Amino acid sequence: MRLLRVLQGIKQPLSLMFTLAATALAAGDFAYVTNQNSSDLSILDLDAGREVARVPVPGNPAGVTLSVARDAVYTVSPETKTVARHTLDGAFHSRIILEGGPIGIALDEARDRLFVSDWYNARIWVLSADDLSLQATLQTGSAPAGLAVSPDGRWVVSADRDADQLSVFSAADLSLHLRASVGIRPFAVTFGPKGRIFSADVGSDALSVVDAQTGKLLTTLPVGDRPYGVAFAQGKGFVSNQYADTLSVFDLDSLKMLSELDVGEYPEGIGATSDGKTIVVANWFSNTVSLIDVASLTVRAEIETGDGPRAFGTFLAARK
Amino acid sequence: MNRRQLLGAVAVGLMLPSLALAHGPTRQKVTLTQEFAATPEEVWEVVGNFQDMSWHPAVHSSTGEGGNDIDATRVLTLGAEGGPTISEILYKFSDEKMSYSYRITDVKVEVLPVTNYSAHITVKPVDGGGALIEWRGAFYRGYPNNDPPPELNDEAAIAAVTGVYQAGLDALAARFAGN
Repeated sequence: MRLLRVLQGIKQPLSLMFTLAATALAAGDFAYVTNQNSSDLSILDLDAGREVARVPVPGNPAGVTLSVARDAVYTVSPETKTVARHTLDGAFHSRIILEGGPIGIALDEARDRLFVSDWYNARIWVLSADDLSLQATLQTGSAPAGLAVSPDGRWVVSADRDADQLSVFSAADLSLHLRASVGIRPFAVTFGPKGRIFSADVGSDALSVVDAQTGKLLTTLPVGDRPYGVAFAQGKGFVSNQYADTLSVFDLDSLKMLSELDVGEYPEGIGATSDGKTIVVANWFSNTVSLIDVASLTVRAEIETGDGPRAFGTFLAARK
Repeated sequence: MNRRQLLGAVAVGLMLPSLALAHGPTRQKVTLTQEFAATPEEVWEVVGNFQDMSWHPAVHSSTGEGGNDIDATRVLTLGAEGGPTISEILYKFSDEKMSYSYRITDVKVEVLPVTNYSAHITVKPVDGGGALIEWRGAFYRGYPNNDPPPELNDEAAIAAVTGVYQAGLDALAARFAGN
């Protein structure tokens, strides 16, 4: 008997897209979630616990970063090789096509620079954060994916996935500072406190903790199956484990594991709200984000997104 | 879809070097569900053994190690003796939840045009009686670089996985229709 059969993995009908309100969005914490399979951007009001807009972003976007000061959200669409700039309300601003495999993105706020990794050509494009014009390229190892700029503005780091290494550059003059060996196939990379770089190594199911100044591998932390992102809040680290459908939680001082929390299916992009009270993680298969209360380490809410949310990068903004 | 049609649907002609670690930029997802006039326990009895996929018409034989323990392995031979193979590993298994998760560790893209493939099979009760299988797959296309040939693009990957799931669910539907 054949009663129900659902085939997903196809584009959402256009009728499901939201229309943007003309009025500006409220203040508070918002998430800008790239939905790779439905090719759009979900704007979530985290305080209200709902999606307030969904805007088309062609080309299966994954990478994202943003700047409240600039009123800018930048997205990376690998299928159309496009980096696009939008306003925080989701209005299209400008774009550039980059021949190669653009995937990860990070912003150097102080120097008006965007960094975009080229998965296929072992390099980073350096773009103007204002008009997206190409300014320089930096050489990385094979298959650079995640990028991060250190909070103090000193360093830019790429996770060179197929080279099992990080490339660290000086953010000021864009010179190569060092390359650091990490675990197997680092994909996402994040700066923690004390100038430490945390890479999520999907091939060895571990986090590598590297000192940015010296390049020394300080420790390796076993986490869950296929770690895809790292975020920090209230002295704890949170790792999204894509195949385990969990977050691993560890203590930032001792670097010891504390617990593992169930979230949605295929959790990926992860970040902390501005007050450090909530961790937000995008569940790629479930088409939701989970909001985790940091104090109690429990999932306190879920919000629906478009199809295939990735939120690969900095996707949370405290709007004024 | 019979066995020959299924194998035809998943076979593609292009040879590629082994690039098991690499993949394209956009992960794809497929979910198929099928309801059955049977209890969840009856359905799980048929599908809930990682070492026995004889319920799928494309599977000729299965050999493996580790039973239903985490990290158990199996090698599926498709079609007939000496046919193409798919090697898989179990990474979640729960009799209680009637669900298991596995990933492909080795398959030629000419057999199944995907890379980095993982899947879950779950049996759930249906309101008002009956059971439902949900079969979910997540994978990248077979061609890891930009501008894939049509037989190794995203659409080809989705079509092939959908065909495999459909054939398996159709066979189960026929099996339980006799209940």
